[in-house]
Amino acid sequence: MRRAGLRTRVSAAFAIGALALSACVTFVSYELISNTLFRERERAAVRATYFDATVINAGLTGRPKVGDLLQSLDIGADRYVLLSWRGEWFSRTAGAPAESAVPGKLQELAATGEAGAQRIRRDGEAALVVAVPVQGEAVFYEIVSLGELERTLQLLALVLTAVAIMVSAGGAAVGWYVTRHALRPLAAVAEAASGIADGDLDTRLDPDAEPELGRLTASFNHMADELSRRLQRDRRFAADVSHELRSPLQTLAAAVSVLNRRRDSLDERSAAAVGLIADEVARFQSLVDDLLELARSDQPVHREPADIGLLAGRVLRDRGLPGDLLEVVPGTPVDWHVDRRRVEQALGNLVDNAVRYGGGPVAVRVGPGFLEVDDAGPGVPAESRSTIFDRFVRGPAANSRGGGDGTGLGLAIVAEHAAAHDGRIVLLDRPGGGARFRLELPDE
Amino acid sequence: MSAVLLIEDDDRIRLSLAMALEDEGYVTHAVATAEEGLELQRKQPADAVLVDLMLPGMDGFECIRQLRRTDDVPVIVVSARDDTHDIVAGLEAGADDYVVKPVAVKELAARLRALRRRGRAAQAATPAMTVLTFGDLEIRPEAGEVRLHGEPVAVTRTEFRLLCELAEHPGQVLSRQQLLSRVWEYEIGDERLVDVHVGRLRHKIEDNTGRPRHLVTVRGLGYKLQP
Repeated sequence: MRRAGLRTRVSAAFAIGALALSACVTFVSYELISNTLFRERERAAVRATYFDATVINAGLTGRPKVGDLLQSLDIGADRYVLLSWRGEWFSRTAGAPAESAVPGKLQELAATGEAGAQRIRRDGEAALVVAVPVQGEAVFYEIVSLGELERTLQLLALVLTAVAIMVSAGGAAVGWYVTRHALRPLAAVAEAASGIADGDLDTRLDPDAEPELGRLTASFNHMADELSRRLQRDRRFAADVSHELRSPLQTLAAAVSVLNRRRDSLDERSAAAVGLIADEVARFQSLVDDLLELARSDQPVHREPADIGLLAGRVLRDRGLPGDLLEVVPGTPVDWHVDRRRVEQALGNLVDNAVRYGGGPVAVRVGPGFLEVDDAGPGVPAESRSTIFDRFVRGPAANSRGGGDGTGLGLAIVAEHAAAHDGRIVLLDRPGGGARFRLELPDE
Repeated sequence: MSAVLLIEDDDRIRLSLAMALEDEGYVTHAVATAEEGLELQRKQPADAVLVDLMLPGMDGFECIRQLRRTDDVPVIVVSARDDTHDIVAGLEAGADDYVVKPVAVKELAARLRALRRRGRAAQAATPAMTVLTFGDLEIRPEAGEVRLHGEPVAVTRTEFRLLCELAEHPGQVLSRQQLLSRVWEYEIGDERLVDVHVGRLRHKIEDNTGRPRHLVTVRGLGYKLQP
């Protein structure tokens, strides 16, 4: 499983922390509030019951009508009174068997002459039963409904829960926001790194922007310096090699041309030797050119509009191949936005490859976003396919006429040019036999 | 017989190139330094100059610049350096063409012939017949003359050929490849050659090179000359 991102993790931690904290606070405050409220309510109820009990106590002397006596009490809607007197239960409303609401334990307690109170549930609501023994064997009970209080507390719990959820969501949001700020310098690093990857070697980070990231900034800038120094050194090396190899080649080329001109006056063996030298000088020259091309292939492409059909035609013409090999797929745009020199070289190398190893090209196709070269050869054997685009890999020459074989770098250069254009080179089978090289060049 | 001045510090290259050029029918004056070359060109002007860029003492760029002060002789840079920077700098100094070592002698001879043809076309100075006028710019192809606001402008032979090519197709866009094949006789060539020569021409015939009035670039197509 992929690990969640840093921002997600930090936000989740913030959210969980906020939730835990707010849940604690909520729970404690709910408990405090509810206990206080209940205790307050109970105290009030007990006080009221004692007051009523005094009234009843006074009324029970003589021969009272107990019902009237109970009726005379001034009670609200949420109180219910009962009187147990001489084994009988009396209430304000006739026939209500409310004594069942009074727990037996409280009755027993009251029978011993002790006052007491107990919380019960009645009709699904919390209620408080207060027992106060009055004169004789009588016990006065009051049942006080706590439903209202319970509903208030329910609302409070709801509000507190909502607050807890909001606080944890707020925590997550803060985490997200904070990480964005905390990660902003890293975003700058990422941007700078991708700038360097794209070839902008002058990209550096401002060492004063983020003091906390001083070390990162310093290492990053050091790395960038080192990279740019190394690249410069490589480029200088390529330029030096180029100069050092090309100068003697110039002498060789000129001297060979002087010799070649006098070939007729040389004896047969010398003339053959001069021919060999001339061929090898030419090959050495292409090798140097190809090596330098590869050494520089990481440089960014220089894109400009190019008439690709014209370019392909020229590639064929330069090699003395018939122009009717060129096929343009209908719907192909005329102008492509490519590095003309490199595409021309890549296509030229593919055509040369077909001539050298594929029995000659049978078609050069230009289609939307791709160039294809089909050859008449036997196709590429499976074991060579994975290495065919490597450097210094040569196929068995199907046709060895002309001046020696290639440098073994042609297809590697094609692959590099394709990659420089964000494209690729693919080896396919031509229907009917032979190989088909397809150079894919996406439009920017 | 036409004479070629070869300025090349590498003894072996100088010797072999001189021999090979003589085989191609040129009289070759070969020297090792820019100073000697300039001196020799003053005393005994050659029809074309081949110059290396990396020379001891005065380098090739400076040599071309000094040569250009007094001389419109065709100059070809023959250098082992092939990065864009050097090519453009060499052309901007005033060279007409740039070839990278190792160059085949036949190719070099072909380049020299193309440049000399250009030179001769411009020099075939029968009295001024045609005047091509583009606003305040006047071109007399037969006389080899360019005038801006009536004042003569010193242009090299290649610049002149380029200007004439554009002037003969007024208002028509010529692509870089077309100009390369018509002016330099290149089948395929380096388009920077055209761009740098256009830049050099603009310095001479435009009042504001940043916003050219006569020699304008048509993006993606090429160049055209307009009044």
